[in-house]
Amino acid sequence: MAFEAHLEMDGQVAKIFLKGQLDANAAPEFRDEVEKAAGNNPTRLALMLHDLEYIASAGIRVLIFAKQKMGGGVDVVAVSPQEQIVETLEMTGLTHSIEIIETLD
Amino acid sequence: MKTLTVPGTLEALDEIGEFVMDFGQGAGLEKKKIYRLRLAVDEISTNVILHGYKEAGIDGKLTFEAEETGEDITIRLFDTGVEYDPNEKANPESLNKPLEERPIGGLGVFLSIQSVDKFLYERKDGKNIHTFVVRK
Repeated sequence: MAFEAHLEMDGQVAKIFLKGQLDANAAPEFRDEVEKAAGNNPTRLALMLHDLEYIASAGIRVLIFAKQKMGGGVDVVAVSPQEQIVETLEMTGLTHSIEIIETLD
Repeated sequence: MKTLTVPGTLEALDEIGEFVMDFGQGAGLEKKKIYRLRLAVDEISTNVILHGYKEAGIDGKLTFEAEETGEDITIRLFDTGVEYDPNEKANPESLNKPLEERPIGGLGVFLSIQSVDKFLYERKDGKNIHTFVVRK
């Protein structure tokens, strides 16, 4: 069970594609991509979650870190997460701060 | 009953996840419940590894026992790390606060306890025993 995270810049939009199992062992890799994204001063951060199969609280903490790191002016969205991931985002109250959308315009 | 013993390192989380999911599938547990059980076990295992062992400078193992009794699937986690009752960490109140005002920690324990039908902790003979139960 592996985890992959990679950043793609699309104009001023930073897209981070997440795939596989995001547990405490994998979380630092995700955090590195968030740091890289922040370095590009995007106007929007899109977390591409379609292929993410599992998220633990360590991953949730990186999402919180991403929101804080980007600051108030940057829109952070979660794109197309799987049902169980949505459940965890809701349980942890993250949906108050990060909007879930089905597709990226 | 099935058992698994792994070293107390974060690299072991993959194997722990597979063990729980395989057992859940074999017992005919539905997909959502397998996910939640795995989440519960993964979070507490992470705490044992980071707080029970690593922070305390203790080397140790995690041993799991999984069994099916009637409608219940029970997983027990045994470790020899510092005494640590996750129930004391669970504090869902902060979840309604804005991200910036939330304390770090406690989130995993909250998720874990919410994800199973029953969670028990006991300290016995120098071991921590965490019990997770889900009903089919």
